[in-house]
Amino acid sequence: MGSPCELVCEAPKRAHALRLTGRVAAEAWRIEEKFSRYLEGNIVARINAASGKTIEVDEETADLLDFAVTLYDLSEHRFDITSGVLRRVWRFDGSDCIPGVSEVEAVMQLVGWHRVSWQRPYLQMPAGMEIDLGGIGKEYAVDRCAALIREEGGDPCLVNFGGDLVATEAPDRRRHWKVAIEGDSATEADRIVNLKQGALATSGDARRFLLKDGRRYSHILDPTTGWPVPDAPRSITIVADTCVEAGAVSTLAMLKGAAAEGFLKAQTAAFWCRR
Amino acid sequence: MSKQDNRSISAALATATCTLLGSGVVQPAVAQEEPDWDFNTSLLYYGEDGDRVKDFSVSAIARRMFVDDRFLTLSLTVDGLTGATPSGAIRQDVPQTFTRPSGNAAYTVPGGVLPLDDTFKDTRVAISGGWQQPIGETSLINVGASASKEYDYMHLGVNAKYARDFNQRNTTLSAGIALSMDSLDPVGGAPTPLTPMLDVGDTSNRLGDQDKDVLDVVFGVTQVISRNLVVQANYSYSMSDGYLTDPYKVLSLVDGTTGDTLLRTLTPGVEGPSHQYLFENRPDERTKHSLYGQAKYYMNGKVLDASYRYMTDDWDIDSHTVDLRYRIPFGTDSYIEPHLRFYTQTEAEFYQLSISDAQPLPSFASADYRLGDFDAITAGVKYGWRTRNDNEMSLRVEAYRQAGTVPGSQIIGNQASRDNYPDLNAVIVQFGYRF
Amino acid sequence: MNKTIVIAATTLLIATGCSSMGVEPWERDVLAKAEMQLTTDELEAATDDHIYFSKEASSGGRGFGGGGCGCN
Repeated sequence: MGSPCELVCEAPKRAHALRLTGRVAAEAWRIEEKFSRYLEGNIVARINAASGKTIEVDEETADLLDFAVTLYDLSEHRFDITSGVLRRVWRFDGSDCIPGVSEVEAVMQLVGWHRVSWQRPYLQMPAGMEIDLGGIGKEYAVDRCAALIREEGGDPCLVNFGGDLVATEAPDRRRHWKVAIEGDSATEADRIVNLKQGALATSGDARRFLLKDGRRYSHILDPTTGWPVPDAPRSITIVADTCVEAGAVSTLAMLKGAAAEGFLKAQTAAFWCRR
Repeated sequence: MSKQDNRSISAALATATCTLLGSGVVQPAVAQEEPDWDFNTSLLYYGEDGDRVKDFSVSAIARRMFVDDRFLTLSLTVDGLTGATPSGAIRQDVPQTFTRPSGNAAYTVPGGVLPLDDTFKDTRVAISGGWQQPIGETSLINVGASASKEYDYMHLGVNAKYARDFNQRNTTLSAGIALSMDSLDPVGGAPTPLTPMLDVGDTSNRLGDQDKDVLDVVFGVTQVISRNLVVQANYSYSMSDGYLTDPYKVLSLVDGTTGDTLLRTLTPGVEGPSHQYLFENRPDERTKHSLYGQAKYYMNGKVLDASYRYMTDDWDIDSHTVDLRYRIPFGTDSYIEPHLRFYTQTEAEFYQLSISDAQPLPSFASADYRLGDFDAITAGVKYGWRTRNDNEMSLRVEAYRQAGTVPGSQIIGNQASRDNYPDLNAVIVQFGYRF
Repeated sequence: MNKTIVIAATTLLIATGCSSMGVEPWERDVLAKAEMQLTTDELEAATDDHIYFSKEASSGGRGFGGGGCGCN
């Protein structure tokens, strides 16, 4: 998942808490092993190495792909799981290495869900194209783990995978979980959210960006242009019923750039947007 | 680029999410951002029985958190006081007339009744502010100022406290200092000590404004003993300097044999005291030492809070206070907390019931019951609950009772047949709201 | 004066004897509860301090005696 993952659990017996933790960890690793683009041999690796051939995917992968398509439609094509290849020309390491226009154009030939043929359960895309489920994988894992906890009796738990989190229930006799949304350290205080139940997800550019000629290029790339979304907010945090939903709204808002706040106000979720 | 129309995508997203995550009822999110300000407010009623003191008070403390655990605290209290308080004169079988502290009028107390002075209809306003911030990882500093005003008294004060954690925050050492500069402007003027109470309109034995300074120093250690037990011990030193006398209190001047208050010859046509009374006098310095210990113990949801304080001073007063609170939760949203407090003090060196005309006049003398030898007990119960919007309310009702004794050596003649020590019975009702 | 020395020495002894007791940071769940703070309700404590300062000869202990007043 690329980040520290934790389960905070209030259970009457230590053995039960340990078992819950075991199940959650196992599920998190299962999802990572299945969908990580860094690992060989999993379904994503097979899809990305298909070289134009049609691949039949399982139910779970199909569900994730369907969801990605919904987000592709809802975001006016700015959420696109085929945009991962842009990292070949964009490396967000805080330096000032901006790619040239022609470099970007070359890679853009391999970007675009409209080039993909998806007829559940068959996926076919031109050779050289890749899919990356990183944009929804972590949130999906959090929600799956929350479902597991509810299956096991629904103890008050906080599943937190690197800041994308779900609270299944408020801890007994305390009223809520306290989640801090980091402020800009020196000038801005942390905001504290009292979460009884529900999910929280954050999109942000805190550490990955490029800086050239005084201009900050956020790592949120617009797949329709190949360039970073102009005027993207620094950080957006969303509260929603599920982590997947929270993550989707925050990502979609980020992709709107300057129009992020307008978009967020039209939605029903509570949000914190920082520029 | 298409027109940026901001429709709500919530419905479509919710459906898609449902499909992805499969069956299973997902509960709606319940979350709220914590507000910047924290308020603690209360309404208090304090009432002594009979015609004695009644106090009604409104208080509020507001706290605002800033970046990095820094916070600002502001507080305001407004008190309205009515009722009468023992003047220090003793009961007689005959009526007694006294001149009011203002010197403008007189009041009469029937025979057999404890003389009470009801001049005290007063309003007091007190404000304070404080700033706290951490220093490094393990220390913090707190500075503050306070002020209060009632019509005959003004207080100004500053305070500072430093605390440092040790042993992975299991031990905290703290040191604090407070300085008060108070001034009194008693109604009618402060009376010259140990001079007689004069006729209405006669203010010849009055002094001007008075001052009082107080220095308090506190050293403390807090220690975590176990997962369920934390204790604290404090040593306090207090030094008061200036006008420490109560300008409104008197002592009855009595016959050395009968113990009855001496009569006074009245000037015809002039109102004045019926008997002889002398204004009290206390030393102009007082040094106090206190040792305080507290423990809080968690037992399966219930919390026991027990504390003990020992105080000793150079007025020869020693006191012991034991305070016990036991908090019992009811479900997740409310609690009940019975409270018991025991207090006992010995009398001040210069406390005496009356002044005998057969003895030389003492340098210091006071009949103020609050400097006497007494035991007190407080018993009460507090009920607290969480409101629908997650705020806290509480109501406590307590009974406070003081019962004192006058040392046998001080009782003269007929005084033995009377109830000399003004016992105190009071009720405390406080409603609190924190949001 | 002797009394003072005894009091001060006792406090110091308690303080120095405390250096090895305590809990690990992850065992502070109970201690973090609002009802386990040494002063649970500041306003109630201030009210009591004020009432007893007005009616008794002792004051403070927990902290400072609070602001002065002309309470009779």
